[in-house]
Amino acid sequence: MAATLHTPDAGAVLAARKAHDEKLAKRADQTRATWFPVTVLAVLLALPLLQFTGNYNYLLHLVLFTASYVVMAAGWNILGGFAGYVSLGHAVFFAIGGYFSGVLLARFGISTLLTAPLAGLLAAVCGYLIGLITLKVRGPSFIISSIALLMIARILFDHWTFIGGANGLALPINDLPVLWAKLPYYYAFILMAAFTVWATYRIKHSKLGLGLRALSKDEIKAESAGIDTRFYKVVAFALSAFFVGMAGAVWGEYLTYLRPNIFLIILVSANLVLMCILGGKGTIAGPAIGAILIVGINELFVATMGASELNLFGTGLVMAVALMFFPLGVVGTLARKGKLPRILNWD
Amino acid sequence: MAQFIQVLILGLALGGVIALMGSGLSLVFGVMRIVNLAHPSLIIAGAYVAYWAFKLWGIDPIVMLPVAALILAGIGVLLYRLMFEKEAKSARYSEMTVLLTFALAMMVEGLLGAFFTNTQRVTSPDYATDAFFLGDIFIPKGQLYAGIVSLVIIGALALFLKYSRMGYAIRATTQNRDAAELLGVNVNLVSVVAFAIGIGLAGAAGALVSFVFSFFPAKQWEWIAMLMSVVVLGGMGSILGTVVAAFSLSVIAAFVGTWVGATWSTMTFFLALFVILLIRPEGLFGEKPEMA
Repeated sequence: MAATLHTPDAGAVLAARKAHDEKLAKRADQTRATWFPVTVLAVLLALPLLQFTGNYNYLLHLVLFTASYVVMAAGWNILGGFAGYVSLGHAVFFAIGGYFSGVLLARFGISTLLTAPLAGLLAAVCGYLIGLITLKVRGPSFIISSIALLMIARILFDHWTFIGGANGLALPINDLPVLWAKLPYYYAFILMAAFTVWATYRIKHSKLGLGLRALSKDEIKAESAGIDTRFYKVVAFALSAFFVGMAGAVWGEYLTYLRPNIFLIILVSANLVLMCILGGKGTIAGPAIGAILIVGINELFVATMGASELNLFGTGLVMAVALMFFPLGVVGTLARKGKLPRILNWD
Repeated sequence: MAQFIQVLILGLALGGVIALMGSGLSLVFGVMRIVNLAHPSLIIAGAYVAYWAFKLWGIDPIVMLPVAALILAGIGVLLYRLMFEKEAKSARYSEMTVLLTFALAMMVEGLLGAFFTNTQRVTSPDYATDAFFLGDIFIPKGQLYAGIVSLVIIGALALFLKYSRMGYAIRATTQNRDAAELLGVNVNLVSVVAFAIGIGLAGAAGALVSFVFSFFPAKQWEWIAMLMSVVVLGGMGSILGTVVAAFSLSVIAAFVGTWVGATWSTMTFFLALFVILLIRPEGLFGEKPEMA
């Protein structure tokens, strides 16, 4: 008697796999401390109440500043962390967003808070088009091309008289009393930061995110596994440009002026890279933690050393040390050791 | 016609210096696959050596050149030992080293800026502002001397690479690191020597740059893109390619600067870099698309 060959049908296998995945997801959900980010968000939203007891503008500025970098670093992380394409030219999208909304504000008086998503979209379109060209090369070539992009944009912005050239544009100052003047931007940045972190979480766990992580490991294998790598990485570029552009839009109005030597400098891009590396490239909590660390370190340097030049030295030093001894960042290192506290596991 | 020749001469005169600035970068990439973004900041460091020697003791920058080269070569050995030696085993080595040299560039700029401030400086020996006249056409002496010295140094480098035992080992390592190591080349020593020579060339270029261009620490970002375009066009790792690319881009930039406008002459380099990376990442003289 011949042994009957057992052939499981494909449907049963898929169902079993789905059940297994759901079990894993459920376990992850149980161990995830969702209450922590929610509490942080609630505290930050309530923070301006302090203004009733005194002038806490400096504190609000620091939180706002950090939140703006959380938006940008988390946006950068989509391309640099998930897809593994390190860009040193993201300041370009910061400037595109800032100038688009800034010009609308200066000419038509429309608040950047309303036009920020549009600015993000414009940055995303630019990112998409630039990505189509530059994402053909990878590794060092891509990094160099991103620097070239920044230099080209700097020359264009410096000589485009419509937007004020190198002198930049002055934007109207809002007419709120000093205590409350920062508030609209404060809330805008906090909400944008929360949205960005949530969005990067969704992206990471989507099909797109899966494809990006695959192509960051090995692009050729990913391609042969049927992933449209070109399309995926260009979309990742556009998405990351979107968040950076959005942050740039509101940042312009908060600063009340736009100038190429503030928006289009390599230090802005470098900070994004540094935050993601220090916090943990490719993780959700990494950019947020990195932003807090870098803003903290920066304030410390400014407070103790003052000079902006030594500040640059400090930034470089932190970056070099982090790269050499700490390439996985805070979140990555802790996760590898299995010591990542539950409250920081946002993945 | 006279104007055409004049612009051509000005472009060629700068080509030599730019070739020297790029050759160290190319050598370091060839041997170690390090895209050294800190190279321009180290050139500026070399320029400060020549600047202060001239300012304090009146020493001619060309005389000071070997000293600047030696100082920078020493710094190069130190940097290699501290920063790059242990990175050689890292999996994402090439990407990692780009970021590492980027951090280094910021550190050097920060230190130079803190010590010497960001004011524009230029060394002014007599010949820097003098020129030879041939009828209507003039040749600036400073740029001519700098170009000649550059070509002499690059020629010496080429001879060294071609005929000396160490040069032979360096070329072998450039072609295939693993095979060279298998055949008994001390790859680690070769790396240190090549890195020191590369950074030393930055110092030598700095001494010449100090009277050809005005410089300040933050100028490095402009030069990074400029040198990258030269080195990428020439093919990373090819000294001959670097020289050819430097002269051609320099001449094109001179024409663009004259006929289109001075600000667009730097743009030539950046756009060229962009286009080359996308069309032919391996450059004119590169052998295979290592970078892609």
